[in-house]
Amino acid sequence: MIIYILKRIGAALLTLLVIMSITFFLMNAIPGSPFLTEKSTPQQIELANKKYGLDKPLIVQLKNYVVNYLKGDLGTSLKMQEGTPVKDIIFHQGKFILSIKLGLWSLAIAVLIGIPLGCIAAYNRGSWLDGFLRVMTTVGVAIPTFVLATLLLATFAVKLGWLDTISGSLESAKSMIMPILSMSFYYICYVAKLTRTSMLDAINQDYIRTARAKGVKRNIIILKHALRNSLIPVITYLGPVTAGIITGSFVVESTFSIPGLGKYYVQCVMSRDYPVIMATTVVLSALVIFMNLVVDVAYKVVDPRITLTNKED
Amino acid sequence: MKKLLALLLALCMVFSMAACTSKPAEQPAEPAQPAEPEQTATEEPQQPAEPEKFVLNACIASEPETIDVSTISSVDGSTYVQHMFENLMKYQMVGENPADDPNMYMTEVVPGQAASYTVSEDKTVYTFTLRDDIYWSDGKPVTANDWVYSWRRLVNPETAADYGYFLDGIVKNAYAIYEEGSMDPSELGIKALDDKTLEITLEAPCAYFIEMCAFASLMPLREDVVEGNDNWTDPANIVVNGPYILTEWVHDSYLKMVPNEQYYDAENLGPDEIVWWLSDSETNILSSYQSGAYDFIESFPTDMIESLSASGDCFINPYVGTYYLYLNCDKIPSWKVRAAMTISVDRDNIVNNVTQGGQVPATGFVASGILDSTGQDFAYGVSELGAIYNWLSKTYPDADLTTYAGKCELAKQLYDEAVADGEWDPNTTVVYNFNTSDTHKAIAEACGHDWQTVLGMNITLENQEWATYTNGLGEHNFGVARLGWIADYNDPVTYLELLVTGNAYNYGLYSDASYDEAIASAKATLAGPDRDAMLYGAEETMFSEGGFPVMPVYYYTNMYCAHGLKNMGYTPMGYFFMQYAQPNQ
Repeated sequence: MIIYILKRIGAALLTLLVIMSITFFLMNAIPGSPFLTEKSTPQQIELANKKYGLDKPLIVQLKNYVVNYLKGDLGTSLKMQEGTPVKDIIFHQGKFILSIKLGLWSLAIAVLIGIPLGCIAAYNRGSWLDGFLRVMTTVGVAIPTFVLATLLLATFAVKLGWLDTISGSLESAKSMIMPILSMSFYYICYVAKLTRTSMLDAINQDYIRTARAKGVKRNIIILKHALRNSLIPVITYLGPVTAGIITGSFVVESTFSIPGLGKYYVQCVMSRDYPVIMATTVVLSALVIFMNLVVDVAYKVVDPRITLTNKED
Repeated sequence: MKKLLALLLALCMVFSMAACTSKPAEQPAEPAQPAEPEQTATEEPQQPAEPEKFVLNACIASEPETIDVSTISSVDGSTYVQHMFENLMKYQMVGENPADDPNMYMTEVVPGQAASYTVSEDKTVYTFTLRDDIYWSDGKPVTANDWVYSWRRLVNPETAADYGYFLDGIVKNAYAIYEEGSMDPSELGIKALDDKTLEITLEAPCAYFIEMCAFASLMPLREDVVEGNDNWTDPANIVVNGPYILTEWVHDSYLKMVPNEQYYDAENLGPDEIVWWLSDSETNILSSYQSGAYDFIESFPTDMIESLSASGDCFINPYVGTYYLYLNCDKIPSWKVRAAMTISVDRDNIVNNVTQGGQVPATGFVASGILDSTGQDFAYGVSELGAIYNWLSKTYPDADLTTYAGKCELAKQLYDEAVADGEWDPNTTVVYNFNTSDTHKAIAEACGHDWQTVLGMNITLENQEWATYTNGLGEHNFGVARLGWIADYNDPVTYLELLVTGNAYNYGLYSDASYDEAIASAKATLAGPDRDAMLYGAEETMFSEGGFPVMPVYYYTNMYCAHGLKNMGYTPMGYFFMQYAQPNQ
């Protein structure tokens, strides 16, 4: 297992280098400049390019990025917070932590509510409860996040005045409720649907029938035998989703005025802030790669029959 | 199974621990506090004698790119700077209400940090005497050298300031320093005769120079604070000479300012705190306003304007800006076609049904609000019809240019003439580019519809995100393209020089020698009837035979919502002033 993980880390570093190169060439391939405004002149853009080294050949710029990254220098922002080190923007200003905080809470809520709901629906298949949950989860996956977020904002913050409209840095439970609910609702519903389907599939297996025949209690059957096997598709789904959910949501962060990385990531691409694009892409890619590794290890924990390494390892 | 449950529980604990313990660095303990001043007051009943703190919560934009005096270019960034710094001249409230709001006052330019100024006989040398009671927030006196440093920094090409060109052709040697790079910034026409006397030498008389001396990019800066410190705008480092000082800046969340005790008029300032919230979500901005968290907002969803106006706290201010379309003279070479396009669009329909913000249909390129030397609004100075129609009304006296139907009739005539003369192939498809926005899209659809139905033209609409769009403008890669231009100073030149041959903003590639000459002459002439005539003449040339390189659509307005405030100031350049605001109970 350790050798497998070490190998994966080596591959991850190589992957990051490839991602950096692709991102660098793609962002330079699209038209525009961080210095373009309604009132900027070609002379100004030329001067600014010179000031920030954007007049150098692309390959030299890429080399500079890689060398600086190895030294831990992520560059400085050209546009969004002109002159501010990108490392400060992502880490010291708390954007990354804030998005992770929002994402982890949303993910935890999605898993802790979604999986039990799926089990309950499967366990009560055909009943009114199953019907209700099916309708709710179908509606849940169909409602766009911005609609739900706006609805929550209008109801609980404006009409009732129970919650804050500005969630800010998510310091209090009051400020966290609406963003987390907006962000996790879709995932709660999707995970519940997924769990129900795979649980129903598991329930119809022979070994469950055998357990029933042997007089094992229903709760034990569900929790001990069926749930474990039905979690594999859920984990497969949760892997990439986890990376996505904890890297922030443009819609939720915008709607609730949360200064997180998700919003920033979209804005930096729009304003061609090259060093910020590079840094956020690398940081988020590293996170995605890490989460995929965690999922692979989780497979092994859930289903011991799965082998992660070749026999020679 | 137990292992699995244990794993799940452990994961949940890790999530919870991470979420609970991860506190972003440099975050304030309670950033939501400024939004709820009432709660603070009620939570501390043991100090009833202390007067209630007046915290003004405003939201005018999202995170500014910078608040560095030399490199700012946005209206919001300039507004923050106007609250923290004060120039030789400043904006002072006068007894006029620009909108129906009795709590909002217009401003005029009056001496600020300068006690007085004199002008040489040839109007090219200005000598400012500074006030004796002006200090930086750290207690050091403000000196003439602070302007010398700041202005030199602005025009220094190494600063790469958006407004580096601002003094071009106005202050001596600015052009040679910034545009040509042939002179050192130290040779700029500004010098400190002593600590309290500043002398500025111009290239030629400039009618609007005094007004420029209130501009945000020309504020004074302290060399020992700025030089070598990239983070000098951080609250911990910033030193200001204006009414308020920045004490907190939570990026993408808010800027907090408190009165600067060293400011000469500190005792008359209004808010005990101004919190500028930073948000780009119109939904959140409006919700925060409606819930009482914000006292003042500048942007909200267009479809809410009607209900907000009905509620009585949404107002419309004049704003010196023109929304216009470039008609590419290379792609649409016939001036008759360009003229036909210009007059066949129903502007009333656009302002009444699309933008719905009280905008005024444009009748010329120079925005309404820019005044000529007699104080007359330049946009309506020559005739009621406006610059677009002046020459046409003289050349086609039979056409009725007072009604939309009459304009369409003349448009069709001009278009047919262009086709008949072989100047225009009616099968040509014109590409109309606009940057991503529901409003720009709706305006494009309205214009395209009019051109198709009135003239029978083929129009294709192309939507591009901002950076790609502006890049395309610079490459003149469009048939029609939109832009908006907000005046930098109150003079028609701020608009008219954009279409001079070779100007970087002349995206439609218009070129007319007589037009270029008129603008050059006007720039070197002092304000007066002669100069007015040159400028009026130039705009008429732009909308005459061979012209019509731009199609003005409407003059901007500036909408805002405010409740519980009075004594706010405004300039049609788009800046709001809150330093003397008071609660309006």
